[in-house]
Amino acid sequence: MTTRALRKITFVVEEFGVGTPAQQLLDRFLIGYPHEGAFRKLEGCRVALHLAPPEAADAEITRRVQDFGLDRESNLERAIADADAVVIIGREHMCVPSETLLKSVLQNAAANTACFVHGVLAPTLQSAKEMVALAESRHILLTAGTATAVTYRLPDVDVPMGVPLQEALIVVQGAYPVAEVEALHGLLPVIERRRNGESGVKRIRFFQGRDIWQAGERGVWPQSLLASALSRSDRPQGDPVADGRTQDLLGLGRVPQLAQHPRCWILEHRDGLRSTLLDLDGVVADFNFAVQTNAGQIISAQLHRPPGPAQHQFSRLAAVLETFFRTGKPPWPIQRNLLVTGLLEAFVQGSARKDKSIETPELGSRAIAYRIPM
Amino acid sequence: MTKEGKAADSQWNRREFVSSLATSAVAAASTGALLTAGVSCAHKAPRFTPRKKVAIVATIVRKYSHAQHFIDRFVEGYGWHGQHHRPAMELASLYVDQFPENDLARERSSRHGVRIYPTIEGALTLGGSDLAVDGVLIIGEHGNYAKNEKGQTLYPRYKFFKEVTNVFEKSGRAVPVFNDKHLSTRWSECAEMVADSKRLGFPFMAGSSLPVTWRIPAIDLPLGTPLEESLCICYGGVDHYDIHGLETAQCMSERRAGGEVGVKSVHAVKGQEVWAMLKEREPTRRLMFAALARSHTCQGPPGYTYAIPDMAWCRKAATNPIAYFIEHLDGFKTTLLLFNGLVDDFTYAGLIKGTGEIVSCQMYLPMPPRYTTLANFFNPQVNHIEQMVLDGTVPYPVERTLLTSGVTLFAVESLYQGQVKLETPELKVNYQPLAKSAFWRA
Repeated sequence: MTTRALRKITFVVEEFGVGTPAQQLLDRFLIGYPHEGAFRKLEGCRVALHLAPPEAADAEITRRVQDFGLDRESNLERAIADADAVVIIGREHMCVPSETLLKSVLQNAAANTACFVHGVLAPTLQSAKEMVALAESRHILLTAGTATAVTYRLPDVDVPMGVPLQEALIVVQGAYPVAEVEALHGLLPVIERRRNGESGVKRIRFFQGRDIWQAGERGVWPQSLLASALSRSDRPQGDPVADGRTQDLLGLGRVPQLAQHPRCWILEHRDGLRSTLLDLDGVVADFNFAVQTNAGQIISAQLHRPPGPAQHQFSRLAAVLETFFRTGKPPWPIQRNLLVTGLLEAFVQGSARKDKSIETPELGSRAIAYRIPM
Repeated sequence: MTKEGKAADSQWNRREFVSSLATSAVAAASTGALLTAGVSCAHKAPRFTPRKKVAIVATIVRKYSHAQHFIDRFVEGYGWHGQHHRPAMELASLYVDQFPENDLARERSSRHGVRIYPTIEGALTLGGSDLAVDGVLIIGEHGNYAKNEKGQTLYPRYKFFKEVTNVFEKSGRAVPVFNDKHLSTRWSECAEMVADSKRLGFPFMAGSSLPVTWRIPAIDLPLGTPLEESLCICYGGVDHYDIHGLETAQCMSERRAGGEVGVKSVHAVKGQEVWAMLKEREPTRRLMFAALARSHTCQGPPGYTYAIPDMAWCRKAATNPIAYFIEHLDGFKTTLLLFNGLVDDFTYAGLIKGTGEIVSCQMYLPMPPRYTTLANFFNPQVNHIEQMVLDGTVPYPVERTLLTSGVTLFAVESLYQGQVKLETPELKVNYQPLAKSAFWRA
């Protein structure tokens, strides 16, 4: 694989503060990051920041200008004109950058620039497709995602390539839509390795509140996989918080008692796989998944997010992005990003029609289906 | 056995019965050869055999005390191999030395029907005259105990152990014993405990949970690796967390070519002397930065969420550093760095002879309440104890903990005598590790 030297990486961000994804990712390229048992630093590479809209000097940005020579640029065109790579990060609670901003980047970046969008590409599938088309027309390499897609797993497992899967489930916590974005970025890298790859999603269903538990009793989603996923959690809530005890949360019937405003999304994939996304605030405070193969094996793990303030899942993401920027080869197919965007758009409709199936023909089309390279 | 005890034995309630079915199946799965990382198997048919009994002898039971973690894993179960696992044995009795205001022993006893006995003998005999349990856990950590002039907390682990072995001797039989953390605060007592286990012929397991917890990445050293130096960086204090760091290093070091041969000298230093010693040791500094690169908590300067540390930053952030420099009898070196203020986790690096290659990992300690709600690094420890009670197998030789206990004691002594290097002829502890490392990987 051919690689290129990186001379300039530009961050185009809508907010910057300590602990934001923008700060976490920018610092990895500005000051370095731990990687495979050593500290890695990009030598000879300028890091520039364009804050959009430009605001008064921020102390944390100024600190980086003074300490590490961060290049602050108020003009977007100038900021990206000579960049080898551009990282676009919207506001943290939105998961998606401003469409105008992304479009400006794609219209002004030079050919062969590698662009990474933190979160999702656009608020709608149509808009995301337009962004992809624009990037392709200008020979810009585009991808999107979050660190959850590449973070550590406990245990360090993966679905063997080509194994047929029957069921998949991920439990997350957090507010909508951030939790849903993380759930999709956490689960899709696991299930897209199944036989014939990702086939697309033909319909979705949404449950909330008590309806979730009744649906579980009816077998609409697999309780056995919830049990397996919960067994991987290091942060169960309820009695463990009160007095440190371990607990079979599901077996003891504690999950419905603890869950605060739970949300459940069920995705029917075109190849028959059923995926369940559960947002269980109040039950666990970490991300865990379980999948079942057609042969009945269950594979489960925690998507381990190292503690703050460092949050070294961003070091993992930085390593993946550095390879992308150097090689021009996106770390995953763009269809994964289109599927995530389309599902989030469908979730908006789904949440208004709870317990009813929503057909998603545009997400079940061959244009969305993809296989990851062997 | 008391009348009450017999009745309880013969009439399991429904919860216990259902639990035993699940446990049998899970136990079968959890020991099955088919298991690979993250994969659980279909259940096998349960076997209807009487459940074994264990006793826990503890200093104190309060939220997040070690005894609380062990007790709850036996009575509530815990996450293991992708399922909620319930041990295939019964926590039959407790002996608890201290009952503070925030005691949880009585609450657990009441809720789970586990009797607290006023004596260790009572807990082991279940109130009768003979040993009536199949395994004993000695959890002598936490509680209000005096410190000696060297700063060692005088936990009564040796005293507890001797009371346990007295019951064994009186009963004419012995059962497996687990001792949490280092063995005792005097070398002669540590050596006697191991000798007693040999003399009475019972499986004896001891030490820290660090060697058996997750590793990030999940690396192991092949037996016979030509390792020449090991280093662990961690946090915590002398006679407290140093044992965890020493066990972190030793579970790797013992896999070197020739196995463990024992320790020749221990030199503990603190403050500026740490940096002076490191300045003279280039390979050790290389290992230090490799280990720091596995840390997820390396403290950054103000305004930054992490550090790319250099020596100047280490000196600034680790304000009261402590280091143990350990020479083994075969020339092998171990270094332990207690860098409070710089890191809040346990990382390991080892130097391969000849190639200069470094192997490194984090031994992951999901510590509540800072980072988690459960101290799940106890899960593999408890699972190994269960296995030992079921079939007598130990996951690693007790000599590992004998050696790390000895190094801990001599490091304390080295600091007490003014940071002098101590020759340690007592620590000629040689042993061979088991082929399979016992860390958590599935």
